[in-house]
Amino acid sequence: MRNQEKEVTADAGMYVAREKIHPREVKGPFQTLRNIAVIVLLGIYYGLAWVQWEGRQAVLFDLPARQFHIFGLTFWPQDFLYLALLLIIAALSLFFFTALAGRLWCGYACPQTVWTEAFIWMERLTEGNRQQRLKLDKSPCNSTKLLRRGSKHVLWVLFALYTGFTFVGYFTPIRELSVNVATFSLGGWETFWLLFYGFATWGNAGFLREQVCIYMCPYARFQSAMFDPNSLIISYDEKRGEPRGGRGRNVDHKAKGLGDCIDCNLCVQACPTGIDIRDGLQYECIACAACIDACNGVMDKMDYPRGLIRYTTENAMEGKPSRILRPRILIYGLLLLALTVGVLYSLTLRTPLAMEVMADRNVLYRDVDFETIENVYTVRILNKDSQAHEYVLTVDGLPGARVITRPERIHVRAGSTDTVIARVQVPRGAATGPGHPIELQLTSQSDPAIQSTNAARFHGPDE
Amino acid sequence: MNRAWYMRCLGSTLWPSFLAAAVASVVFFASIDPQTLQMQTVPDWNISRMAGYTIGFFMFWGVGLLSSSLTYLLSGGNSSRNA
Repeated sequence: MRNQEKEVTADAGMYVAREKIHPREVKGPFQTLRNIAVIVLLGIYYGLAWVQWEGRQAVLFDLPARQFHIFGLTFWPQDFLYLALLLIIAALSLFFFTALAGRLWCGYACPQTVWTEAFIWMERLTEGNRQQRLKLDKSPCNSTKLLRRGSKHVLWVLFALYTGFTFVGYFTPIRELSVNVATFSLGGWETFWLLFYGFATWGNAGFLREQVCIYMCPYARFQSAMFDPNSLIISYDEKRGEPRGGRGRNVDHKAKGLGDCIDCNLCVQACPTGIDIRDGLQYECIACAACIDACNGVMDKMDYPRGLIRYTTENAMEGKPSRILRPRILIYGLLLLALTVGVLYSLTLRTPLAMEVMADRNVLYRDVDFETIENVYTVRILNKDSQAHEYVLTVDGLPGARVITRPERIHVRAGSTDTVIARVQVPRGAATGPGHPIELQLTSQSDPAIQSTNAARFHGPDE
Repeated sequence: MNRAWYMRCLGSTLWPSFLAAAVASVVFFASIDPQTLQMQTVPDWNISRMAGYTIGFFMFWGVGLLSSSLTYLLSGGNSSRNA
């Protein structure tokens, strides 16, 4: 009956209707590793927002003020290069680890996997294990079903809302945000993003799950380009397993002509994307290794050696040696290393000071007295350092030029900006006509190494 | 309209345009301050920076969505695609 139904849907030019996948709970080293990854990564996400650093939130992407704080570092829009480099490094590490160890990212670190796992834990808590959940799906609507389903959704929604709250907490200081939430005085945009991110989490981790990997993920489509026969994959050992078939525990299956696979289907039940690993490498496989744990458990019970499904390489499966060091790995690795070192190096050398000089557009020049001509500039100072500085402005480029600021020593707080009016005065004879190049130099009084120079133009009368 | 078809359609339009919009917003707003933009175009319209970012993001998403939908339509995404 079921098959007939499936054919009808397919004939109508559509796709086979999806059945909800209830992955079976497995125990084993890889599952433990995954659980650790989930706890660590979610711990970082939910915890980091609350960490304080030198009196403010350690990681804060302060969009309204247009500055990013990451522990001691403050980034401004001018530092966009670092963000671009960071993204390139992230992409390169993805390539590197994919070439080396396959879809590690998908199985252990992808937010989709991590939050799905957390949502499945809540599902398990309220609706029970796989059998109980399958039974519940089929059971008619009654009070038990309502209670179990209801409590699951309450948990999911609360968790998703808290996730959205944390997300917004990286952009608006989370302590203020929590006060606003508690007093129902949340701003409009914050409410919107909280609900938007919460909704996305709830939908992606609660309902879409493996469909995100199968239909939506670009990485799943292009990751094969980074694979080679030496990359780690999860594979079923067909030579050892086939022909598969059921048998009693104490039967000599080799005498009966059977392989090691007892066809218990546990690997299929454990798979979060609902595939059968025994059909070969498939792009739906997110390399979570749940089938390895499931199969090893069965192998132990049967007293067969472990590893019927295992991490291996295409070369190893064909009996050839696998190599770790190969041109692809070396190139990705070297690029990654060079970029990372370069970024770290330039971060340590980064001058934590920037300034912008804008000439006063209303008046080209002013006569101060018979001897002196003056130009006025607005100087915007960005102190990117984690401590306050006092700066002094000097000028160079015209003989006898001097600059007056009020106050003379300009105090700028850590990670903030200030604007001062700078009056540059030059002896009348030294600057005839418009457009003399001058240089304004800003120097910290506590650390002369911290300085910034900007070019400007000085205009004099045409005499 | 069955569900898997629906998912494919959304997955190959909404999602790529979302990613593109995220990248575009970051690049655009890193160099352009929404407040400056507002001052120079609609000085009477009093909106915050956050509102500027949000509107910008959804504008990029909208444009991306239009492009993705046309690509989906023109490449016969709804009938012949098979993963």
